[in-house]
Amino acid sequence: MGWDPAEEHPEIAELLAAWALDAVMSGDAERIRAHVEDCADCAEELGRLREAVHRLDGPPAAPAKGARRGADKVGRGRLMAAARAARTGHDAPAAHAAPYAAAVASLEALLRELDGTPARWGTPVVHDWDVQGTVAHLVAADEPLAERLGMLPVTRAEAGGTGDAAPWEVRWAARTEEVVAYEHTRPPTETAEAWRTQAHGLLDLPEARAEEPASLPTALMGKRLPVADHYVIRAFETWIHTRDIGRALGLTVPSPPSVHLQRLVVLAVRIVDLALGDGTRPVLLGVEGAAGGDWVLGPAAEPVAAELVLDAVDLCLLVGGRLTPQEVSRGQAGDAAAAQHVLATAASLAWL
Amino acid sequence: MDRRAASPSTPPRDEDLHRRLVYGDESALGEAYDAFGGLAHAVAHRVTRSTHTAEEVVQEVLTHLWARPYAFDPARGSLRAWLSMQAHRRAVDRMSEAAGCGTLPAGTALLPHAALAELPPAQRQVLHLAYFAGRTYRQAAVELGIPEGTAKTRLRVALRSLADRLADPPDPAVEKGM
Repeated sequence: MGWDPAEEHPEIAELLAAWALDAVMSGDAERIRAHVEDCADCAEELGRLREAVHRLDGPPAAPAKGARRGADKVGRGRLMAAARAARTGHDAPAAHAAPYAAAVASLEALLRELDGTPARWGTPVVHDWDVQGTVAHLVAADEPLAERLGMLPVTRAEAGGTGDAAPWEVRWAARTEEVVAYEHTRPPTETAEAWRTQAHGLLDLPEARAEEPASLPTALMGKRLPVADHYVIRAFETWIHTRDIGRALGLTVPSPPSVHLQRLVVLAVRIVDLALGDGTRPVLLGVEGAAGGDWVLGPAAEPVAAELVLDAVDLCLLVGGRLTPQEVSRGQAGDAAAAQHVLATAASLAWL
Repeated sequence: MDRRAASPSTPPRDEDLHRRLVYGDESALGEAYDAFGGLAHAVAHRVTRSTHTAEEVVQEVLTHLWARPYAFDPARGSLRAWLSMQAHRRAVDRMSEAAGCGTLPAGTALLPHAALAELPPAQRQVLHLAYFAGRTYRQAAVELGIPEGTAKTRLRVALRSLADRLADPPDPAVEKGM
């Protein structure tokens, strides 16, 4: 014996809704059934809850399972056709342009969240840019590559007086200022349209569709790299700013798919390595995750002085100036100064 | 709370699907359709009683997921529950419109479903998983990353308030059941 309906009442009462919904574990069924037989309160409540479920069920309907199965293939085809119409895609971009195509898709989708709420374009994002200003900055940032590849400008912002002799950072910052100022004189949707036009234009070029035409090195933003790498840089920056806008709007922007992230990591590692300069002691950098890998930074001939472990996304955010060396999750071993030097150099790029 | 740490059986798929949807990978939409199109159809059919209308709702809901992937946040619930709720909401809206024009098909139980659609989202999520998706309270808890007790309580509160709304105007003497 020792079985007391009153004692288990609270526990069973808590299960009645699940029971009425046929959502209990198989082990619960016997206990509930036995308790309800002896407990008038529970029996009454169960009756009420079952009635609610019954009302949701409605009158019995003829099962339409076969029809659904037949409709399935048709429905899938129809959906995929609608999908193609709803978002601009690019047929098989080359591997170097795929991360940019994906980043563009993700920002386009994010900006669609602003449809119907024009005021949100004024949400502060980063630096002194609002959402419109951030998109305008991307118009300016994509422009050098677009121009180099022979595209026409998408913004009427007039080029100011920095002159070609000025260092690229100065020209780059000045161009952003001009474009942001100009774009603020027109509706945000037009700024978004200009960005879209330029971005999709870049993705429609032969340089985005095949490896060969993208293999030529060209100097942009102070870096002489193959055009293919400049596409990866565009992906990097587009993702970082999409993430900025998402944070400002309270929407989580997932990090890029790992195949794409891997390309961003390789690029980040290369840029950090180039920036380390002479007199650096070699550091083994382990990047974790599906997009990771191991690299020795600094002179390869010397023995490794320290090991540093970073998460792939954190490394990108560090190089992108969105995390500080203190914030990146890491394991570290060996010469602390050497490891610190790598982190400080990565952060100093404060790229973007 | 890390949902994946809660149980290895929780699909990490939602985050993966969401990422691919956001980054414009069409194959993710096909996978979402294969995985949840049947559920969305069943939900819409339960409300509308029409295979044709249910199919329209499925198309609408999945096209919306594709066009507006940020509307779904995997940190706030499962894709299964989200799509089920979207399908339900849209089916109820269609039926309310039909009722407004006096063209509500016979046999539709709009009232209880309109009441369900008004429950707070946290309760609705669990109820959708239990009622439409056939999940046990434990499976629902794991899927949503909430404690089992919370899932049970939410089901109870949800079903009770549905029962309250659907009950005939209460007669206090009978209600307090001496």
